[in-house]
Amino acid sequence: MHYQYHVIYLLWLLPPLAVLIAGGIRKAWIHRHEEHHHHGFGHKHGEGTLSIDMYAYHSKIGSWNPKLKIGYGLLLLLICLISNDPYVSFGIIFYTFFVTVCLGELDADHYIGLLGIPLAFMIAGSIFILFNFSHTPFSNALVNIPTHWGYVIITPQTAKATVNLWCKAFGAISAMYMMSLSTMSNEIFGVLRDAHCPKLIIELMNMMYRFIFILMDTQHRMKNSAESRLGYTTFKRAIYSFGSTASNLFLVSMKRGTQFYDAMEARCYNGDLRFFEEKKPVTKQQLFWVIVPTAYFVLVWVMTFQGVNINV
Amino acid sequence: MSNEAILRIKDLKYTYSGGDHQALKGISLDVMPGERICIVGNNGAGKSTFFLNVNGVLHPDSGEIYFKGQKVEDNRASLNELRRGVGIVFQDADNQIIASTVMGEVSFGPINLGLDDDEVEKRVDEALTEMNLSEFKHRAPHYCSGGEKKRITIADIIAMHSEVIIFDEPTAALDPLNAKMLEEALTKLADQHKTLLISTHDMDFAYRWAQKLVVFSDGQIIATGTPVEVLTNEAVCEQANLRKPMLMRVYEDMVKHGIAPDDKAYPQDVAAFDHWLESIKAS
Ligand SMILES: Nc1ncnc2c1ncn2[C@@H]1O[C@H](COP(=O)(O)OP(=O)(O)O)[C@@H](O)[C@H]1O
Ligand SMILES: [Mg+2]
Repeated sequence: MHYQYHVIYLLWLLPPLAVLIAGGIRKAWIHRHEEHHHHGFGHKHGEGTLSIDMYAYHSKIGSWNPKLKIGYGLLLLLICLISNDPYVSFGIIFYTFFVTVCLGELDADHYIGLLGIPLAFMIAGSIFILFNFSHTPFSNALVNIPTHWGYVIITPQTAKATVNLWCKAFGAISAMYMMSLSTMSNEIFGVLRDAHCPKLIIELMNMMYRFIFILMDTQHRMKNSAESRLGYTTFKRAIYSFGSTASNLFLVSMKRGTQFYDAMEARCYNGDLRFFEEKKPVTKQQLFWVIVPTAYFVLVWVMTFQGVNINV
Repeated sequence: MSNEAILRIKDLKYTYSGGDHQALKGISLDVMPGERICIVGNNGAGKSTFFLNVNGVLHPDSGEIYFKGQKVEDNRASLNELRRGVGIVFQDADNQIIASTVMGEVSFGPINLGLDDDEVEKRVDEALTEMNLSEFKHRAPHYCSGGEKKRITIADIIAMHSEVIIFDEPTAALDPLNAKMLEEALTKLADQHKTLLISTHDMDFAYRWAQKLVVFSDGQIIATGTPVEVLTNEAVCEQANLRKPMLMRVYEDMVKHGIAPDDKAYPQDVAAFDHWLESIKAS
């Protein structure tokens, strides 16, 4: 391995990082006179949750053309997966951070919190890639950890595969977050419709999506009501309260779902959930933020070529 | 044309599939074009169920509905015709609003009617202007106040240009200011010759606003007529637990105590009451 190259390759991360830092400073400068508050983003404890498109609604890049945004999200996802190149992945992570937090003005703490959600899954998922198990130590291993049953081994290959996997997954998640945190659900469904995705599938997605939010909102109301009657004061009581709300949850949600459906049917709904959308033209500025970084990532990919690997 | 009913309901019966009793036990009602009707009755009397049947969302077990003289059949085309002509503003705005912007929400009905984009946009703008919501066009409905949400749901229906508009307990969740705005909006709609059916528990409102009062009790209509006709019928008031409107009680008390002549004037709003007081003082 030519480790010295990797040190040089790291320089490729400087431009995206610089953009991110510059964006952060600019954002802080613009908002310097405001008291620090959380811009109404996210759910504080006790607030309602039936705000499906809360993030997209508040996002400053919500006015970008949805086709462009979705297409760009998918493109970055693909670049990330196909290049299999940690430098490209990290570039994408920094850049999408910049887009969502600096251009879109989502609260940075909140964004990091959201990125943390898939972290647990990634750690759990990568354990079996990182570690090998054997009765005898490996000579080429990075570490051989002796245990009662045998050796737990990390080899350079598994370490590299894990790092690659993490970078790839994080890059892909960032790209998808950039898209979904700034695009209204109906715009996403609209783009799918324009892409000739089968109507039934779109409709099912839409209904499930809505029902999940009804479920969450109902759960939330019931929890508030139980909490106000001291239902969550002790652990035992909390379990009991949760149990009894959970059993009711489904019934109440079904009822609310039916009411929604009735209201939709009353307005001549016939299996095609469509709303009038604002026309959001593509501007030069939007194109700039799309084309320049993409060109840069392709360049990084070529310069730090790791070989194509679609498998891992 | 005004002597032909726009909506004729004949012996409508309905039982919920999970329910153990008939929610509607034979409802018959004629609704004339441009009429202002209030429907009153206890919780559980069947008002909401009736509305959902009239709009074609629920399908009656038996009975007939005629819309503009046409019998409504149980097929998509016929039901859509009915839904196009009869709009419902539901009781709980939170369970009606589905879109994430006010514009999207109001456009839902017109788009389902198959109108082209220009027409949809025109209707949305019209409806929003009419409900004083123009500056809310790009807001998220879920962040609006209760009164604004109610106005959004009304704009939803206005944009569909329905001839008959049904309001299920519209004043239930409104503060006095919003209730007043709602009443003004209703009057505006009535002036445009819309036919309005409103269920309410606010007897003072029903008394001053309605041309016709329909009393529901336990899945049946037990009285129809002008508010004065219905509310002077003690047996009906008793059975449906109707509280008499304040002005009516004042009037009746004045007559009872001999302060005013028994002239059957029944002033229905404060202005008319003032006027009436002037006239009895003069005589
Ligand atoms: N979804 C439902 N399933 C079963 N029964 C229902 C349902 N909705 C209403 N009912 C019953 O139908 C009757 C009429 O209810 P409703 O039309 O809501 O009355 P109102 O609107 O006058 O308060 C009540 O007895 C109620 O319990
Ligand atoms: Mg009701």
